[in-house]
Amino acid sequence: MNQVNPLVEQVREQGRLTFNRLGIPTMRLEHWKYTDVKRAMAPFMDHLGDPPAEAAIDTTAIDALAMENLDAYRMVLIDGRLHQEASALPQGVRADSLATLLAEKPEQGIEPLTTREDAPLFNGFVALNAAHARDGVSICIADGVQLDKPLYILHISSGGAAHICHGIHIGSQSQATVIEHYTGSEDTAGFTNVVSQVRLLQGGSLTHIRLQQESSRQTHIGRVSVCQQRDSRYRSHSIALGAALSRVDLITSLAGTGAACELNGLYLTGGRQHADHHTVIEHRAPYCNSREMYRGVLDGRSRAVFNGRVVVHEGAVKTDSSQSNANLLLSARAEVDTKPELEIYNDDVKCAHGATIGQLDTNQLFYLKSRGLSEDEARQLLTFAFADEVLASIDIPTVRRHIEHAAFSKLPHGVDIEEILV
Amino acid sequence: MLKINELHVSVDDKKILKGINLEINAGEVHAIMGPNGSGKSTLSNVIAGRDGYEVTQGSVTFKGKDLLALAPEERAWEGIFLAFQYPVEIPGVNNTYLLKAGVNAKRKHHGQQELDAMDFMQLVKEKAKLVELDASFLSRGVNEGFSGGEKKRNEIFQMAVLEPQLALLDETDSGLDIDALRIVAQGVNQLRSAQRAIVMVTHYQRLLDYIKPDVVHVLVDGQILKTGDANLAMELEERGYDWVREEAAA
Ligand SMILES: Nc1ncnc2c1ncn2[C@@H]1O[C@H](COP(=O)(O)OP(=O)(O)O)[C@@H](O)[C@H]1O
Ligand SMILES: [Mg+2]
Repeated sequence: MNQVNPLVEQVREQGRLTFNRLGIPTMRLEHWKYTDVKRAMAPFMDHLGDPPAEAAIDTTAIDALAMENLDAYRMVLIDGRLHQEASALPQGVRADSLATLLAEKPEQGIEPLTTREDAPLFNGFVALNAAHARDGVSICIADGVQLDKPLYILHISSGGAAHICHGIHIGSQSQATVIEHYTGSEDTAGFTNVVSQVRLLQGGSLTHIRLQQESSRQTHIGRVSVCQQRDSRYRSHSIALGAALSRVDLITSLAGTGAACELNGLYLTGGRQHADHHTVIEHRAPYCNSREMYRGVLDGRSRAVFNGRVVVHEGAVKTDSSQSNANLLLSARAEVDTKPELEIYNDDVKCAHGATIGQLDTNQLFYLKSRGLSEDEARQLLTFAFADEVLASIDIPTVRRHIEHAAFSKLPHGVDIEEILV
Repeated sequence: MLKINELHVSVDDKKILKGINLEINAGEVHAIMGPNGSGKSTLSNVIAGRDGYEVTQGSVTFKGKDLLALAPEERAWEGIFLAFQYPVEIPGVNNTYLLKAGVNAKRKHHGQQELDAMDFMQLVKEKAKLVELDASFLSRGVNEGFSGGEKKRNEIFQMAVLEPQLALLDETDSGLDIDALRIVAQGVNQLRSAQRAIVMVTHYQRLLDYIKPDVVHVLVDGQILKTGDANLAMELEERGYDWVREEAAA
């Protein structure tokens, strides 16, 4: 980037200043008290904004990391730089490189880079992203377009720090599926910092699948921020399988009457992995509906954090909201901190929420064994089934299969048990 | 086939079974009747191997083997089947494939070749017809969203597929309307054979109108107080259980 547009420079400078003031979040902050990023971030602190080295990743390596047999419009980012653009996009659909937009249409390009500091869960990483995100995908679906195939953004990390920023704009009465898939080869120990800004216009509908399958040494920080207008539908599947430390914030604002969101989440952790999910659902308008189900399976000495806040604002009458977080601990040394938070500022609402932490159900175990399954098989099966319930709502079979397969290979398994699942 | 000798069982130090003696042979159908809380489910659960029961005295052998030393799945492989009083829902676990895993685990245990998917589906369809279970139930999660009657029918369907040698039906009749009862009874009757023993646990005579038992036992307060033929069931229906208690005390 030789000639930097002043608009862009202003956003960058703002990001730098804010980050210098806030720094990396510390455990003294309420929303970071269970997640210590300091140690994980130490190797990157001296060169947070350095452009990534040109990685040599060939097509074979890319295909090996991608979801197999997925019929989609594919884009590939390597270390935060767009490596392969989507081809043959239908009319009314754009998926531009953020870098190109910043150079050619800066006033449009800076939009996803701009987050107000008073936004929920704003933190130093968001500012850092604004300061350094070089690339990403800017998706724009015009009004009234039903996309025939998913937009698939494959991310590959080869180490180093990558700041990525995506913008997803869904036009009025349009419908799309966007898949963000984060991967890397197993020996990489990089840092991913990604912000996705989603906007749904009236009656727009988005299925947003976010699969984090990075190397077990990666640090992954993500933020998804969604603004929903009238009668829009946002459905998210946020899956965390990889990374040594991951933190994903998902904030959705139900800003127009009759909007609905469905947030599904699954985290599987083992070894010394740490996975943190924070969600905020803001009910700002009447007749909105929110459904949230996050589940976790924890093994080894891993640790997970779930914090789900639902805020029902004063005018948001006839709100219908449910939230649940259930955790299965496979090991005595695994640990989870879960906190559903409900804030209601009017009394014409229906809200249900709850969190559980537990072991497998002994009645179910006995039932399976009485039908001839061994103790191990029965345990594995129930664990898979518990996790799979979150995945059941993914309606693209190849995507669901891919995630199931990746998930199952992480869980203890001895027999071929996948076919026993519904 | 099954021999129970002076069996005493406690739960949390509370004595529930107080000296059960029972012998069941292949080809026989037994009914165990008794008021609620008398220990019928406890007896069935102990035979099937559920945790949480302490056998303080006595023995249970099945085909000469010490049953109490076996894990629940080993008992299933040996041919024991329990149709649960309250079948549990297991969302996410496919009803049919669970059975396939069960059938094949048993076959493997006996050194038989595992059934392939085609043979198995054939078997399943056949047996589903037996209890008039709609094919759509086969691909659902185990008992997931089934009505009370559907759960009971599913239990009998599973029994038909697993082909046990000793089937324990714990209150399979309760919660069934008359049509469902007829279907379930028909399923059970078709499974009667000279190689198989069936034990029906119930506190109503109703089911016995459809499945005629060879032997009827009355279980009260953890003890079998009386044993007779099918006529005993009628008598219990008319006179209740108190007279059995009084007769035993006398
Ligand atoms: N797991 C348990 N914990 C404590 N008490 C139990 C348990 N299971 C059964 N009981 C008690 O044992 C007695 C017999 O119960 P059960 O075998 O279920 O009787 P039935 O099936 O004849 O109705 C009852 O008093 C019941 O409350
Ligand atoms: Mg009972």
